[in-house]
Amino acid sequence: MSTAPARALVAIPAKIGALFLAVAKQAGGLGILAAQILRRLTPSQIDRHELFRNLNRMGVRSVPIICATAAFTGGIMVIQAAPFVEQVQATSFVGWAATFTTIRELGPLLIGLIFNGRVGANNTAELGTMKVTDQIDALRALAIDPIAYLVVPRCLAMVSMMVLLCIIGDAVAIGGAMLTADALLGVDPHLFWASALERLEPWDFWVGLIKSGLFGVMIALTSCHYGLATSGGAPGVGRAVNASVVAAAAGIFIMDYLSTFVLG
Amino acid sequence: MAARTKDPSIIDAAKNVVTDARDVFRVFARTLYYLFRGKREKGEVARQMFAIGNESLFFMCITMAFIGAIITFQTGLQSRKLLPDFSLMGATYLKLLVRDLAASVGALPLATRVGAGIAAEIGSMVVTDQVDALRMCAADPIDYLVVPRFIACVVMGTVILIIGGFVAYGSGLLVANLAFDVTPSTFNNLMYLNLGDVALGFFKCLTYGAAIAVVSAQRGLATFGGSEGVGWATTEAVVGSSFAIIVLNLIISTFGYFLVPSVGPG
Amino acid sequence: MLRALIRLDDVHKEFLGTPVLQGVSLTVPAQCIYALIGPGAAGKSVLLKVVAGLLRPERGKVFVNDAELTSMRELELAEARKSIGMLFQNYALFDKNVYENIAFPLRRLYDLPEEEIRERVAERLARVALPGTEERIPQSMSGGQKKRIGVARATIAKPEVILYDEPTAGLDPVTSQKIYDLVQEEQRATKATVMVISSDVSGVLTIADRVGMLHQGRLVFDGTAEEAKTSTIPEVNQFVHGLTEGPL
Repeated sequence: MSTAPARALVAIPAKIGALFLAVAKQAGGLGILAAQILRRLTPSQIDRHELFRNLNRMGVRSVPIICATAAFTGGIMVIQAAPFVEQVQATSFVGWAATFTTIRELGPLLIGLIFNGRVGANNTAELGTMKVTDQIDALRALAIDPIAYLVVPRCLAMVSMMVLLCIIGDAVAIGGAMLTADALLGVDPHLFWASALERLEPWDFWVGLIKSGLFGVMIALTSCHYGLATSGGAPGVGRAVNASVVAAAAGIFIMDYLSTFVLG
Repeated sequence: MAARTKDPSIIDAAKNVVTDARDVFRVFARTLYYLFRGKREKGEVARQMFAIGNESLFFMCITMAFIGAIITFQTGLQSRKLLPDFSLMGATYLKLLVRDLAASVGALPLATRVGAGIAAEIGSMVVTDQVDALRMCAADPIDYLVVPRFIACVVMGTVILIIGGFVAYGSGLLVANLAFDVTPSTFNNLMYLNLGDVALGFFKCLTYGAAIAVVSAQRGLATFGGSEGVGWATTEAVVGSSFAIIVLNLIISTFGYFLVPSVGPG
Repeated sequence: MLRALIRLDDVHKEFLGTPVLQGVSLTVPAQCIYALIGPGAAGKSVLLKVVAGLLRPERGKVFVNDAELTSMRELELAEARKSIGMLFQNYALFDKNVYENIAFPLRRLYDLPEEEIRERVAERLARVALPGTEERIPQSMSGGQKKRIGVARATIAKPEVILYDEPTAGLDPVTSQKIYDLVQEEQRATKATVMVISSDVSGVLTIADRVGMLHQGRLVFDGTAEEAKTSTIPEVNQFVHGLTEGPL
């Protein structure tokens, strides 16, 4: 058994197995945390001050970066589509194609990724620092439930702000697409709008909103879970942030795929 | 910490973007200088390449597989509505993938994974005074820490993005076949693809790799304030390099639109 | 009169708008052990990093060995730092084994054959009473051992100026005294100029030739160790004798 190829033969399935066990462990942790949050989701238990602080910090302050990203992305989308549009002379479809893609797919996905990097990572860093400096235990010692006091307001803030930022971001991205289409392809903004309004369905908006809500839940749960599970001092915080950002990003992609299929 | 807790106005935010961009360019310039003048540690570049490849390959394959599936599915839905004809779906997808998506969409998860890693690693060295200790030993942190990561990130990042592109193509092919009954031979259509697209896509991969390394290293080197500072630096590295990728994409794509014409049957 | 080796002239430094050093001027003669004392957050570590050229003051000049650090560019600074060794408060040891940690300055500064590096590292380790620990990983060692490895790394390139930031913080009294003795013996053997930061006043006064006290970013006292013990300046008197009554 100790020959190198034999060891490699065992090592690869062992690695895959360990990977699945690790993923299952984190997913289980997320589930437990979700249940704990749901149990505490009565209005009387929510610390209002903490909620508003987080709404401002996570939502309001993310507006500039979300808007900048969205505007650029709207432009890029049209630039990439431009050769095809010119080829098939499909200028009347540009408005619809751009708004459809933005609202259903690109908006939630991209804003989710940026939100994850900015707010999710930050949240893990903050909770992780509190954990390694024993502040969480200190709360427990004062008979304050850390889930109700720290996690619930953060999760509420993240989910609601993700949906709101997505609406703002979609609007800015569509604006960017409209300007680029006008400048690059000579598509008149009126034509752009008309094309969008003619073909868009209300369901498209709902799909976008549901997706952004799901991504918000994903980011909120992952970042809180990894933050609270931090161990090992200052380097541990760095590791937790890293792992949390990656896990939430993977979660967003998987969520996106599933919801695209389910919601049609 | 004071600068972070106060409410930024739009003007402050704009000012911050300008100073951040200037700092990033300064790090980039010094990286280029040491790229040719520096004292190379033996094996360091290879070690960094292994670290970057090892930590991001799996993650990249997963995300790109899902992205490929999502894009094909959405395109399929759109073309079912417009022109119930899927014969050019593969050709269009392949061209977009090579020209932009493989590099630009793949670079975002890459920034998340690799950028966060670089910033966290350099950041913890800063807050534990190791970077100052390096400077005391005539080991400039740009030369000793940033240059090997820069080389590794450009080379390995490009390799990983190309692999991710192939994975996205495979998953797209699969979804097109399962959901819209497009046969692999119809999907496998190189008609729209030309050398210019390949060059453009490749150039994007190289640029994004460099951007992730430089932005994340700059954020890491600017860390202050203990373990919380490292967390902040990591966050800023992910957001900063994602933003840099999107801005660079806009610039390169605009030039690409005019300079690298897409030739296809019109 | 010995010539001045380190000279600070009206140095100002601030962080995020908070002043840390507010016009510090001081002179450290060559071959002197200069102890820098003061309460926490007085700016001692910042001052040491300014002397090492790691931080640039907003205002004022810093001379080490007649070279003005404050007007140098980063590449020239790297050259000037060849003659300065530094022990950091939190050791700042790299994630390498003890041998590579101590050999690091030699490798970066000079092109020496591996044999000579090995000899000099062994000599240093014997000097700090940790012989034969080359292959160990610093993270697995005690605080006192890490400090001594830091001392070995700071001194291996035979610098003319050695800066120690809290060499005894967090150590028990016996280990502290051993570190102080090591600092003193090193200085006698190499004739280097030494600056030591310490919060442990009585310990550092046993080896110091001169003492400076920083308080709220200003140098409130500068004189010999004897003068410090008998000083009538209220802050110095309180701090040196560890009194609870006083302006601090």
